Amino acid sequence: MADQADFERDALQYSRQLYSAAMRMARNPADAEDLVQETFLKAYRAYDTFQEGTNLKAWLYRILTNTYINKYRKESRRPSEVDLGDVEDLYLYRRLGSEDTADASRTTEDRVLDGLVESDIKEAVEELPENFRMPVILADLEGFSYKEIADILDIPIGTVMSRLHRGRKAMQKRLWEFASRRGLVPEDAERP
Amino acid sequence: MSHDCDCGDAQGQLYEYLDAELDEETAHAVRVHLDDCDGCFDSFEFERRLKTVVRSHLTEDMPETLQLKVRELIRQETLKA
Repeated sequence: MADQADFERDALQYSRQLYSAAMRMARNPADAEDLVQETFLKAYRAYDTFQEGTNLKAWLYRILTNTYINKYRKESRRPSEVDLGDVEDLYLYRRLGSEDTADASRTTEDRVLDGLVESDIKEAVEELPENFRMPVILADLEGFSYKEIADILDIPIGTVMSRLHRGRKAMQKRLWEFASRRGLVPEDAERP
Repeated sequence: MSHDCDCGDAQGQLYEYLDAELDEETAHAVRVHLDDCDGCFDSFEFERRLKTVVRSHLTEDMPETLQLKVRELIRQETLKA
């Protein structure tokens, strides 16, 4: 059994971050709380197997991610692919820059970046299929490196990069829809 | 040092650049290109700001009770052992 004081001192400092990630995975507070509790309990039981000096934060996220996948994957009937159709790179940016001058384009960009609300961003992430959502959460919320994400999710770095890329594109498409709905963008905008 | 980086190269490395995944030399070449190219600079700047906005909106306030629940769970587990 791991030393309780050591574990509390070293591991529990990540609880707030883990809760944010758990919320984006489970999508509701009750399940997110369960997920965090289960993660710490499993981590505590396995703490003897954790190699001191290695990445404790990534280790905890690996447990969180596996716990989430094992617990909720069966319930998942969502598609595992994102339909990107004609979504090109810089999807959002290209649509905001059709104004006559660079200044006007910049104003539109500012309006969108300031005008998107928290629920827009959360929804755009939470709608992503799980295999795209996980890399996006780990990179864009937690700031893990591609290598760390590859280790946490047990997939090759190349797969991390392509899923992250596609996940972010799908998010931009959704954010464009939110921005349009909120009247933040010019009509039929497209940067030449 | 050569800085062979055109718009295509820069755009192809946009996320790796913003995610700080490029080695120093490649990142430098991208930076040199961004200094010269307003178009690429603007798009990188937009993506950088979007990344910041996304991150700031994804963070969640943890319920105060959760930390206590976790500590209690660990205490009980310790007693079991």
